[in-house]
Amino acid sequence: MSATRVPEGERRSATGLRLLTHDVTGVAVGEETSYADGLLTVGKREANELLAHPALAAVAVACCSPGESTRIVKVLDAVEPRCKGADGAHDRSGGGVFPGLLSPAQLRGRGETHVLRGAAVLSAGFLPRAQEAVLQMSGAGAELSPLSRTHNVVVTFEPVPGAPWEEVAGALRLGVLRLAAHLAQATLAAAPESVDELQSVPPGSTGLPRVVAVTNIQTQGAFKDVLVYGRSMVGSLPTWIDPCELADGAVVSAQYGHPALKNPTFVHQNNPVVAALRANDAVELAGVVLCPEPVTEHEKRLVSEHAARLCAAVGADGAIVTKEGGGNADGDVALKLDALEDLGISAVGLFAEMAGRDGTAPGLVVAPARANALISTGNYDELIRLEATDRALGGERLGIVEAAATDELELPVAAIYGSLNPLGWGHLTCGTEP
Amino acid sequence: MRIVHYLNQFFAGVGGEEAAGTRPAVREGAVGPGRALAALLGADYEIVATVFCGDDYAASDPSATEQLLELVRDRAPDLLVAGPAFTSGRYGLACARLAAASAREGIAAVTSMHPENPGLDEAAPAPVIESGKIGREMRPSLERLARAIDRLSRGEELTERDGRVGRAPRRNRVAERTAAQRAVELMLARIAGDRERTEVPLPSFGSVTPSAPLEDPADARIALLTEGALVPMGNPDRLESARATRWLRYQLDGLDQLEEGVFQSVHGGFSTVAANADPHRLLPLDMARELEHEGRIGTLHHEYLTTAGNGTQVATARSFGVEWAAELRQAGVQAAILTAT
Repeated sequence: MSATRVPEGERRSATGLRLLTHDVTGVAVGEETSYADGLLTVGKREANELLAHPALAAVAVACCSPGESTRIVKVLDAVEPRCKGADGAHDRSGGGVFPGLLSPAQLRGRGETHVLRGAAVLSAGFLPRAQEAVLQMSGAGAELSPLSRTHNVVVTFEPVPGAPWEEVAGALRLGVLRLAAHLAQATLAAAPESVDELQSVPPGSTGLPRVVAVTNIQTQGAFKDVLVYGRSMVGSLPTWIDPCELADGAVVSAQYGHPALKNPTFVHQNNPVVAALRANDAVELAGVVLCPEPVTEHEKRLVSEHAARLCAAVGADGAIVTKEGGGNADGDVALKLDALEDLGISAVGLFAEMAGRDGTAPGLVVAPARANALISTGNYDELIRLEATDRALGGERLGIVEAAATDELELPVAAIYGSLNPLGWGHLTCGTEP
Repeated sequence: MRIVHYLNQFFAGVGGEEAAGTRPAVREGAVGPGRALAALLGADYEIVATVFCGDDYAASDPSATEQLLELVRDRAPDLLVAGPAFTSGRYGLACARLAAASAREGIAAVTSMHPENPGLDEAAPAPVIESGKIGREMRPSLERLARAIDRLSRGEELTERDGRVGRAPRRNRVAERTAAQRAVELMLARIAGDRERTEVPLPSFGSVTPSAPLEDPADARIALLTEGALVPMGNPDRLESARATRWLRYQLDGLDQLEEGVFQSVHGGFSTVAANADPHRLLPLDMARELEHEGRIGTLHHEYLTTAGNGTQVATARSFGVEWAAELRQAGVQAAILTAT
């Protein structure tokens, strides 16, 4: 079982995380879970067992791949299959991934983690306060969502009548994490395609500019929350974590609003700002500051000033600030950018614009007063036409436009899952014609 | 070149606020500021007709733009000119909507207003030429407008040099690098001393000066308004829960209570459980009726206005504000309580 694994002595257990990456080039539902030659097979019976819960009357698993004439509607979350590489890790804890949910809430981000790269486990269906997200696997609209380029395992469900919705959402979340870890465990016997050494934040400066990824997460209660080591940050002050912890699933989404403006669990696992900072030799990654997005202005100010102070404490020269959600979440970014600049820390903020269908309205709900370096992840309101598809997963109807889930549709970009990702995952931007 | 000119009731000489409900109408030739504009334009241009409408009617009647457009169409002009509207919100909105509607159906159009006018964002695809803030600046405003019309008639595109204001349309496009990668590049540029570089120019929202307090609330007609998307149970008129494009009105006459199960909030941006259990917490009809019975306020307006303030574009929200103000003024309301979520 462990013959191809990296010898004990080469592990960098105390200074970082070793990611063992296995590429997925195809996905199917079958009798038993397996991974061979890039083909991921999802064992139907095993999946059903992992997803079973007293609050769920029925669950189903289906697959789709990039280029197929398929649309996924009512997408709730997406998770990258990962597990820790310990021997005998075929348990429901995934060897220690998603701490606080699948495994005890202990600091992670060390040792080895196996990744099924190119695959995602998605949940789809109705939950209260969820806004219907649409994901197109081919044609127009597919280039806007990074999850249109992954081989997707889609979990749908029927709640037990009368079960509290929070319990239904929790059961689904836990089941999807279990399934994701279980699928990754199919790679434990395989040699990885590539190995990435993710460094922890070094204690002292190397002389390069130190930049923090300030990651705001939504904290608006049930169905609009994000879990850090299994806990909500509602009412918390910001906290600093090592980026390697994110790679082990320290942050899990429980936020189902804002299809285009949400950060799925997948994006926290692969925090794009962290990845871009790691990939650039001219900067040094100085960690991640996780911040709640409180709902009152005085709390937003408190959290912003505290976040800026944390960045100063780790010797940051710069901070890249991201958000989750629409409208009032712009205020969280704007206040932080100003608070950082006030402490002499260069601040860059990522915003989606709400510039109207014709792109002529002011794009930001709340703009910074003193900071001004902003990245646009695209205009929320611009319409896009999606061609009809042969198949739909996640539901038969789409309530936002009162159409069959397979119909040709015209929708604002805001409805395309992940399209305006506030953490900078996508390629979309917005501007006047050159 | 045949021009149709649009004016509000004031500049058309019909009257002031007392005539703000004037319905769309047309007069032959140039009227008021149109005469000065015609003189500036010279012999190659003719203002063949002047279309006008009261500010309240134009801003609050949903069919006003279409009615005005019909009058414009009748004269088959080469160009529609609207304004100058200065900083007048209702007038600016009317100019912008008529110019936009004309341009969309192929009648070239241009309008003139101050950049702070709420109509600015609704004129596209028609260009807006900057005017002064108040009517006293009519002359320089008309001179700038006349020069712009002259350039338009020669088929030239209007630019900032002509006094064109308003945001150029921003369109989505796919960049080579991800937003996160671009953010790191922007960070490096900023650390290196470039303090100006950005992908998003900062907007300016202007500011609203509050009106003077009521002299005596006991004499006033008070309206209740909400952006909390409170509608009759079942949402019969299908108000959107997010990105609302319209607002609705519902009767309060004969109602002393908003009962659970009779009204509901369809707002998509907050948990509506508490609001649905007691709709008064969105729209305080209970307290308002009490104050009315005690004589502490004059009368409660007979209907409430509602929309969903959730992901709404600033321009749309601004138009709703102007429409509500016109609507309430016409109904003789002196004060309003607008509850926000």
